[in-house]
Order: sequence, then structure tokens, then C-alpha cells
Amino acid sequence: MQPNELDNLLSPIRDKLTGIERKSDTRVFLPCEAEHVSEICRFLFEDLGLRFVISTGIDAQDCFEVLHHFSDDESGCFVTVKAFIRDREAPVLDSITPVIPGAEWIECEMHDLLGIEFRNHPHMRRLILSDDWPDGVYPLRKEIRT
Amino acid sequence: MDWRLWSLKKSIWVFHVNTGACNNCDIEIVNLLTPKFDVERFGMKLVGSPRHADALLVTGGGTRQAAIRLREVYRQTAKPCVVFCMGACACGMGIFEKGYHMAGPIDSIVRQVDPHAIIAYVPGCPPKPEAMIAGVVKALGVLQPKEKYATERIGQPVVADPR
Repeated sequence: MQPNELDNLLSPIRDKLTGIERKSDTRVFLPCEAEHVSEICRFLFEDLGLRFVISTGIDAQDCFEVLHHFSDDESGCFVTVKAFIRDREAPVLDSITPVIPGAEWIECEMHDLLGIEFRNHPHMRRLILSDDWPDGVYPLRKEIRT
Repeated sequence: MDWRLWSLKKSIWVFHVNTGACNNCDIEIVNLLTPKFDVERFGMKLVGSPRHADALLVTGGGTRQAAIRLREVYRQTAKPCVVFCMGACACGMGIFEKGYHMAGPIDSIVRQVDPHAIIAYVPGCPPKPEAMIAGVVKALGVLQPKEKYATERIGQPVVADPR
């Protein structure tokens, strides 16, 4: 995807992004703050028709990052929405599952492993940790030592 | 006790338990049943219930979720029985040793139920089918009845008995 073409496509949500990081023709990052993530993902999924691939949760010491990866299959371009959650004590993010049903399980997994709360998730439950795992312990956080 | 040991060794029916393996060991175990290795010529057979089994083939390192199930399966297995730890993970958790989701290697999980369990180890990632057969044969060789009337009565050595 060429730079000017990308800017045109993203112009409706340009004010919600904190920047457009263009790593290559086929790799674009869209950093944003946590409160805009569901609106941006709705735009990419419904208006641009991108395919939702997967999400990534990262504990970045001072904040949590949730990356929603989208693919434009025609051009082979990957677009990643990178949401920063600044509140480490009670990380909350809007769920994209009401818009994209395929994100249900990966959001449950991020909730299990990193303790990120997903607002408006329709069916949040323990997905991959064992049944006897203690509540409130999130194994992929940096402060956990084995 | 002698006839129990003899009946344990005569034709081993095995039940396969996956406690979080990556499926590689499982595929090698299935490979044992194919015509190339054909363990049924030794009387070994995969069965669908631990209540029918003489041996448990355990693969995987033993995750917290699977440890409860493994202990339950061991309780249900007809005694006496042998536990075979197949692969590096089952023998000592392998690369998952310090993982947060692990409940310990297979032997320690089984010994929580039965401290005197008979446990054999076949390392490898995955172990070759030949190694698995050799491991079973060696384990059976160790399980010698004190009196040999069982072998004499049949008139031939116990199957897979190296002596």
C-alpha cells in the first residue's frame, strides 16, 4: 500500500491515532490510546473490510500494549492497531468482540494471562489457565517470578 | 503374587495418556501400531479404557490441569500396572521445567497417588519407536518373578523376557 493511498484510507480516523508508523509497504502500525481502540477496529473491519487475524498482549513495564492485527488480503498488507493502556493497576480496554466475534477467545486469553479487563466482552471466563489457578495471579506479567 | 506378575507381563495392554504433550510422542506411539513396528506381535495393544490396561503410556510434562486427570486415570488402572514415561517431557518436564503451568514430572504426580508405583522412563524428543520397544522390553526384564514356575508351565519364555 502506497503512503498517500494509506493516508486517504485512514483519513476518517486520523484524529484518533497518535501516529502512523509505516515499517514497509506491507506493514503498518497504528498507535492509539486505549479509549479509541474499538472505534478504530470497527472502522478497519467494517468500513475497510480488513480481516481480523489475531491480537497480542504485551506487558511493557510502564504500560500494557494490546495489538490487534488486521490483514488486507488483496494487497497483502498487515495493519496493526496498537493500543496503550497506561493504568497498570486496573488495566481496562474496550472489547472488540461485539464488532468482531472472532476476537472472543484471544481476549479471554489476554484476560487470563495479563489480567487486562475487556469492557463489554459478552462471555468473559477462564479459558486456558488450569481450574485450580489462583484468582488475581497473571502469569505473563513482568512481576511474576517462577 | 506370581501369577499376577505373569499376567501383567504376558501381553501388555496399554492405555495412552497425554498430559500436555506436543503430539510428537503421540504420533510415535501410533507409529508403533503400524505394520512396520507392529507391537501387537508382542501382545501389546492400545485399549480405550484404563480399566482394561496393564500399562499407562504417559506423554507430556504433566500440566496442572492434566495432573488431576492423570492421578484419576492411575487410580482407575487395574493393579499391578506399569507407568511408562515416554519422551523427555514426561521423564523430567524437558523444556517446560520452569513453566508456570506445570505440576511436576510424571513420576512425582503418579507417586502422589501410589508411592510404590512401577515407573519406567524412555527419554527422547520424541523417542524412536525402536527405543520405546526397547524400553518396554527392559522394563519387563526387570519385573522378574522370584519363582520361575510361570515361564516353565507355559514351556516358553515370557514374551519380551530377555533372559
